[in-house]
Amino acid sequence: MLGSVSGRHRSPVKGSALEFAQYRKYVPGDDTRRLDWRTWGRTDRYYIKEFEADTNLRQCFIVDTSGSMGYETTDTTRLDYARSIAGTLAYLTVHGGDAAGLYAGAKSEDGNIFQQELPPKRGGIHLGVLLDQIAQLKSGGETALIPAIHAAAEKIPQRAMIVIISDLLFDLDPLQEAFDHLRFRKHDVVLFHLLDREEIDFSFDRPTRFLDLEGGPSLLADPSLIQRKYREAVSDYLAQVDRIVNHSVIDYHRAFLDEPYEQVLARFLIGRNPKTARSAR
Amino acid sequence: MSFLQPILLIGLPLALLPIIIHLINQHRHRTVQWAAMMFLLDAKKLTKGIARLRQILILSLRVLAVLLLFFAASRPLAGGWLALTGGKPDTVLILLDRSASMEQQILETGESKRSAVVTKLADLLEKTAGGSNLVLIDSATLEPTPITDAAALSKLPQVAATATSANVPNLLQRAVDYLETDESGRTDIWLASDLRQSDWETGSGKWQTLRSDLSTRETVRLLLLNYSETESENFSISVSNVKRLRSPEGIQLVMDLRIRRQSANEGEVELPVEFTINGTRTIQEMTITGPELVRLGHTISLGQNNLNGWGRLDLPADGNLADNTAFLVFDDEAIRKTVIVSDDAITAQALVAAAKAPVEAGVTYETEIVTLDQLTRIPWDETALLFWHAPIPAKDSPISALLRQHVESGRTLVFLPPPDADSESLFGFQWKEWNETANEPFPIEWWRTGSGLLANTQSGEPLPVGDLSFFRTRDFGGEFQPLLRSESSAIFIAKITSETSGSVYAWGTLPRTDHSSLATEGVVFFVMIHRALEEGANAVATAQFRETGSEALVASGDAYTLIDSAGDSVMLSEEGLLPSAVKVEKPSGKDYFIAINRPPSEDDTRLVAPEALVSLFEGIDFRQVSDELDSGSSLASEVWRFFLIAMALALLAEAILSLPPRIEEPDVVHGFPKTQKSQDS
Repeated sequence: MLGSVSGRHRSPVKGSALEFAQYRKYVPGDDTRRLDWRTWGRTDRYYIKEFEADTNLRQCFIVDTSGSMGYETTDTTRLDYARSIAGTLAYLTVHGGDAAGLYAGAKSEDGNIFQQELPPKRGGIHLGVLLDQIAQLKSGGETALIPAIHAAAEKIPQRAMIVIISDLLFDLDPLQEAFDHLRFRKHDVVLFHLLDREEIDFSFDRPTRFLDLEGGPSLLADPSLIQRKYREAVSDYLAQVDRIVNHSVIDYHRAFLDEPYEQVLARFLIGRNPKTARSAR
Repeated sequence: MSFLQPILLIGLPLALLPIIIHLINQHRHRTVQWAAMMFLLDAKKLTKGIARLRQILILSLRVLAVLLLFFAASRPLAGGWLALTGGKPDTVLILLDRSASMEQQILETGESKRSAVVTKLADLLEKTAGGSNLVLIDSATLEPTPITDAAALSKLPQVAATATSANVPNLLQRAVDYLETDESGRTDIWLASDLRQSDWETGSGKWQTLRSDLSTRETVRLLLLNYSETESENFSISVSNVKRLRSPEGIQLVMDLRIRRQSANEGEVELPVEFTINGTRTIQEMTITGPELVRLGHTISLGQNNLNGWGRLDLPADGNLADNTAFLVFDDEAIRKTVIVSDDAITAQALVAAAKAPVEAGVTYETEIVTLDQLTRIPWDETALLFWHAPIPAKDSPISALLRQHVESGRTLVFLPPPDADSESLFGFQWKEWNETANEPFPIEWWRTGSGLLANTQSGEPLPVGDLSFFRTRDFGGEFQPLLRSESSAIFIAKITSETSGSVYAWGTLPRTDHSSLATEGVVFFVMIHRALEEGANAVATAQFRETGSEALVASGDAYTLIDSAGDSVMLSEEGLLPSAVKVEKPSGKDYFIAINRPPSEDDTRLVAPEALVSLFEGIDFRQVSDELDSGSSLASEVWRFFLIAMALALLAEAILSLPPRIEEPDVVHGFPKTQKSQDS
């Protein structure tokens, strides 16, 4: 990660730092100060000694707080789950000397996209404010994740890790463009897709009235009559999600609300470590 | 449709239970907060039409199943499949064909077509027509008989066996008349017949009137109940041309005997024929090969004293008991008296010459010419044939009444064209214009060879009618059966249709050389006169032959004694309807015998073709119920099984429709699509 201060995260940029990386032949234009004279003495050839430079991380959370995020399972809501993921990751990031920020919201009456907006910063005081804001998140209104992503892409000036936490229960067609916008800004994008198994299996057994959490009209349906078509629609939807994330090279994590969030995060963190990710593969 | 347990129909509203339960279930739904509405809306949109249709079908089938259950429990009755489409009529008219052919029976059970009709209709009406007005019209009497109790139908004398012929158009006309006079409301007419051609008279002009009468009545439904021919072997016997002759050996009875066989087997059969003459019984074995045995001039010796009397010929019991007996009577030959009423001497003389020429030895032929001013001189009682060459008398005149009585008593009347204009009519007959040709005679196109005055001879040879020439003819109108027609479709000779036992003929020309060659080409003229004379002679004979019918004895008008009958015990109402021998006692002391036999047409086994039947009832609400004598089925049967099966089918269909959709391995496994799972692994 690139940053203006030294942090824990290994930078993709080779430069002068403490940890040796490799030798390479000198080419005209290289900084002569970085010539390894000892090697020249032994081999009578010019080599440049390279070191891996550590840099700091800017992590921004885009949390969907639309009404559908208020979906409640037996012991938690989808937004609680999102809070847990965002809070934990923010804690780890800030304690690692990196910066973390928050952009959360849904479509509101006043036209504001973001319910909470906190640019990424480092330090313990900022962490306290960030965690407070995460705790205060409330679900409601229609989803506005797409405009939120576009707005965040414009607001975050430097390369950063963008962690999106959403149920993606909306029309997915414009999602590809939003991800491409983030990728164009050189952001590293992580997507936590939160779903409930009931939403996938649709295993209701008697007539049920479904109240739309985002304020739309309710629907009375006999699940036995529509179950098959519902599952087909879900299957198509998930396939579309897969296509989008593969195309945009998004670090995608599908999480079910009955799955401990620690496991989800562990899967994410292991995947982010190049060594562990390689061994996992 | 009728029900044995109609009280259970009160439960029919319970058929709404499935709908009520469905509505209650709809209101007992659970409510959940749901996020993934987009999938629900997609799924609902995709399944909307089919799922709704399926749901409506399932509900309908459930309602239908409950309805059918209650119908089945109410034990419905149906008159075959017919009653399924109609309710209970206000009036049921039973038109019963009581002709001799309806006595065709199954030998083992003794059940005839007529008795089967009566039994089955009584059963049907008892079960299904409670409260309806029941009326019986039988073909023998044509009198409407109200029936108070359908169960008693079979005990009525009006449904008993007869050896008459039936006239189905008349039977239907009687029904139409009844409907005209009685406000019968919605009416079912049950016509029970065996479809014999001779009874149906499919060529009769009456059918046109009947069709137009019945087709305009929307509340009338015609149900034809017919029985197909049985396979029982049947023999029928008839006797004709009975003469009593005197010879040196004694008195002999000569007759033409005809035995017909209706059987698939045409091999040689020995048949014992029982002859009973004046009470003396003898049996003769007769051998029949083929479909018919004809013995012309069969002779029985009567000894020296049997100058008059009666006799009967009996066959053993077979497939039809009504055609096993034939009666005969014999006495002195009647005088064949012909009276010619004419002022035209030439015509009268020609007629006298032909009528007086003897045909049979031992028979006296007399003629008498009466001019128009001597009408009171006509010996009505002795006249067998009357030629009326005079204007038709006024309808209400005494002479008109006498002419009518002459024909009604079985004698023959021939109208000859008067020279002057004549506008009166009798028997529906009326003279019209004269036609004449100057040079060539009117060409003859056709004449009736099957029956009537110009029929072929017994040997099948045609009369030389084609040799006749007609120069001056007179047209006539009315309802008649043409006997001779010209190429221009003018009718020269016809038999007037009348409901009388005697015959009425119209000759459109005269036996004069300026009119026709009738007198000069004498053969046809002679045959015509003697055939007409023979028809009328029976009515003046002291040994008369008549056909069975309600008018058979009424026509005599005198007291009579039944000598013998084909029935076991003949009720008064059945006299004349069964073959019998009767002695009539006239106040003058001139007693005579009558032999009553079934009409020969009843031996004709031809049936009305199905296509002809359809055209006869064209435009009428008509249905045909065909039954077999040995079917054992009832016209009214409980049809609860039908409803039970229909209910089972409805429930089966409901179960199939209610089956959950085919369980497929979902594309989503533990929440992950298969593709995702494979990617993860």
